[in-house]
Amino acid sequence: MPAAAQDGRWLAVAMLAAVALVWSTPLLWMTVAAFRPQNFGGLDMASLLPDFAPTLANFAEALDSADFARLYLNTLAVCAGILSVQLATVTLAGYAFARLQFRGRDLVFYLFLLQLMIVPPVLIVPNLVTIVGLGLYDTLLAVMAPYFASAFGVFLMRQTFRTIPRDFEEAAMVEGANWAQIVWRVLVPLARPGMVAFAIVSVTAHWNEFLWPLMVISNPDNHTLTIGLASFTRGAESASQWGVIAAGTFLVAAPLLAAFTLFQRQFVNSFLFSGVK
Amino acid sequence: MQTWKSLVAAGAVSLSASLAHAATEIELFFPVPVEGKLAAEMKNLIERFNTEHADIDVTPVYTGSYDETNIKTRAAIKAGRPPAAVIMSANFILEYQINGEIEPLDGLIEANGLTADAYMDRFWPALHGNARFADKVWAAPFHNSTPLLYFNKEHFVEAGLDPENPPATWQEFVDAAKALTVRDGDRITRYGFMLPGNYDYLGWIMTALTMSNGGQYYNAEYGGEVYYDTPSMLGALSLVRDMIFTHKVTPEGVTDGKAVSTAFFAGDASMVMLSTGSLSFIRENMGDRYGVAFVPRNVRNAVAIGGASLMMPKGLSDDQKAASWTLINWLTSPEISGHWSRFTGYFAPNRAAYDLSEMKGFLEANPDAQVALDQLAYARSWFATFNTVAVRKALEDEVQAVMSGDREPAEALAAAQAKADEIMRPYVEQTALKLPQ
Repeated sequence: MPAAAQDGRWLAVAMLAAVALVWSTPLLWMTVAAFRPQNFGGLDMASLLPDFAPTLANFAEALDSADFARLYLNTLAVCAGILSVQLATVTLAGYAFARLQFRGRDLVFYLFLLQLMIVPPVLIVPNLVTIVGLGLYDTLLAVMAPYFASAFGVFLMRQTFRTIPRDFEEAAMVEGANWAQIVWRVLVPLARPGMVAFAIVSVTAHWNEFLWPLMVISNPDNHTLTIGLASFTRGAESASQWGVIAAGTFLVAAPLLAAFTLFQRQFVNSFLFSGVK
Repeated sequence: MQTWKSLVAAGAVSLSASLAHAATEIELFFPVPVEGKLAAEMKNLIERFNTEHADIDVTPVYTGSYDETNIKTRAAIKAGRPPAAVIMSANFILEYQINGEIEPLDGLIEANGLTADAYMDRFWPALHGNARFADKVWAAPFHNSTPLLYFNKEHFVEAGLDPENPPATWQEFVDAAKALTVRDGDRITRYGFMLPGNYDYLGWIMTALTMSNGGQYYNAEYGGEVYYDTPSMLGALSLVRDMIFTHKVTPEGVTDGKAVSTAFFAGDASMVMLSTGSLSFIRENMGDRYGVAFVPRNVRNAVAIGGASLMMPKGLSDDQKAASWTLINWLTSPEISGHWSRFTGYFAPNRAAYDLSEMKGFLEANPDAQVALDQLAYARSWFATFNTVAVRKALEDEVQAVMSGDREPAEALAAAQAKADEIMRPYVEQTALKLPQ
């Protein structure tokens, strides 16, 4: 029996490895192509094998094609700005829906969840009208504003709070804590895995976002990474310089990849805890 | 007291100085539809414009692809922040006119002492249909293209074909594609012909094939009709199906335009149908190993133009309008038009560009650019209707299904026609079907 169990285990590992390979192929190709010399003559463009003479020329051209320092800074500002406001709003709203008793609570909550059903492009014009009305057109704040509240985040935090036994809060109440103290000193520390999981989803989504920043930003000084990348790599009517595209994409994706590698264990634990996949 | 006075004086001086130099600030939305450092070159051009025009300060705003530029422009207009000028896909102009969102240029043209006829006469006749309609001039052509047949000369020689005599008819075209395809048993190692199957590009290539087959594709006079379910379109789509599934000279499924040109560079495809906008890029990568030819004909030579025009949204101040008009005239001048054409491969819409010595020398050195220009004589207006993008996608989805082997041409076209009619219905009901009570 142990032998059979051992076999099954190897089989599982082999299958997982195969799936992992399929998932990582685009990343692998991106890395290899980014360092490959420009060459349309050969068929090796699509090859996953690294070139024998790696070059940094693609990176030089990509860096020369856009002001990456500014793009990084803008993207960081947008992601950090959105996340910090979101953490406040989703925590408070999640607490309200999880713990406070008020009339129509569940109805309001489900209405809130309905937002998840709306395709974002539908909201471009109404959002833009609001942004112009607020005098925010063509500012980084305008890129962030529509995301300050998040239905997904509220849902996640509500579920997270509900898994925390009430005993903790009751103990705090006995000690004389008010609701704000309960949220800040008891629930938030216990809900940290949920917040980390939400942070990853939020930062990845806004780091990669293209359409809304393109709509609301006109001044090149306010562009984010995705727009900067697109401005020199995309072409509808023509072929592409794959090496430069790969290098540019590498530059855009690298910070997220690095962050994920560094904090991998914590991320995985958070996802397991919160049930987000 | 003294310092206070001098401060005020200094303030007044700097204020009047800044007033004197208060340039009219405007924005130009521009898409990057082709590969190459187009975004960088557009910024160079606008910098040059700004130095030459001290009273105008233009900000060039990159706005993505043609479709994204369309979305952003529409949203900006609806939000009350219209740009002063937009380089807009030439076939989207009609919708802005239908929606009443752009300024006719006639008043500005007359203020320059020109008639609308004289103004339009600057541009190639094939470009007039997408710029001047409903009795007014709505746009100024900026860079334009037609689809071309690019072929690999070395493969032609290898296959015993004459590279100086590329296929001109569909029969010659299919024969050449068969001769050029290389097989290793059942596996195809080199395709005789490839065409881009991605949105926008596919619709445009289908237009070229249908028009070469005698078709009109759409009603150029009225934005509520397309001719999808017709013999001319059926012939064109059947040709594509046959090349994939009967002759097996074209890969099955949807190939992106970028992948098509990459396959051409790599020698994996011997003939491809791509835009003149790719000409400079292909020249850079293929050297003298390629040739270009007209899109082959079945009934006649005909293709649709592509490319973009400059248009002016409504809602601008008089100063902005004047600045925008100066910019539009500068960008479409023979000199800039010619420069942009040599940089990209698009032909210059302004005919006078070809009288300049730089352009004459360029055409002599690059006869392939001359072929593109010659085909202009057979070019027609580009498909434009109410809700152009959705009507176009109605066809493209069905053509893609045929290319993947999921649908037969006849049923695909019937479905595409029904879908397109449904999309145009609101407009048709407001116009052609709005009858006296």
